[in-house]
Amino acid sequence: MDFKKNNQRERLKFVDFWSKYVLGHDDEVWSKQQNIIINSGLKNAYISKKLYMKLKGRK
Amino acid sequence: MKFISTDIIELKRELSDLDIFALDFIRILRKHTNYVIVSGYVSILLGRARVSEDIDVIIPKMDFPRFSYLLKELIKHGFYCLNAENDLEIYDYIKNKIPIRFAEKDMVIPNVELKIAKNRIDEIALKNTITVRLKKDNLLISELEMQIAFKEVVLKSPKDIEDARHIRNIAGKHLNSVLIKKYKGMLRGF
Repeated sequence: MDFKKNNQRERLKFVDFWSKYVLGHDDEVWSKQQNIIINSGLKNAYISKKLYMKLKGRK
Repeated sequence: MKFISTDIIELKRELSDLDIFALDFIRILRKHTNYVIVSGYVSILLGRARVSEDIDVIIPKMDFPRFSYLLKELIKHGFYCLNAENDLEIYDYIKNKIPIRFAEKDMVIPNVELKIAKNRIDEIALKNTITVRLKKDNLLISELEMQIAFKEVVLKSPKDIEDARHIRNIAGKHLNSVLIKKYKGMLRGF
């Protein structure tokens, strides 16, 4: 199995693991952990408007 | 997370910065038009462990006076359009069914990608919504069967397949598999 397929399989395994965790815990518990990813991701996502719109293929 | 009925989900999650941004925008938007949230943010709202820089929102066609009023309200509340500044120019995008993006002043990320319904699939998404009841407010998302079908048949990137898988896992027995099949049929060749 090549790296790409193996990587995708592992990622799907984590999706399954995490969704099981979400179903098994209160919303407050899983969302606090999810928010670490979301909030830090947004905080570190600085990009200029010009570059962003260029990447999105718009004016 | 509780599936109260086919069109209501109760979610007592802690709000992320992305949720707060979405709610701030939607509180203004819904005063002026119907809307539905689609794509990645739907799975993120329902717990998927990833971030997105934008929130995809579909609205019905709007005439210029109504759109201009919405625009004024958005600007008054600290949002701006990334595509253009002049309201006629922004409306031109909308009229030509080109998505426009809104962010908070001096920011680019996160942003809302606002699209006018332009085909039958968008119309179905707008018509068949699910209300997600958060602790202090609500958001309207597209029905999950359409989200799964669209991601598995049209988008198909690893990220989209993972989003669909998460929704399938979370919603489980609440999903209508016949409806997913029907939407997949509609979307083939889309």
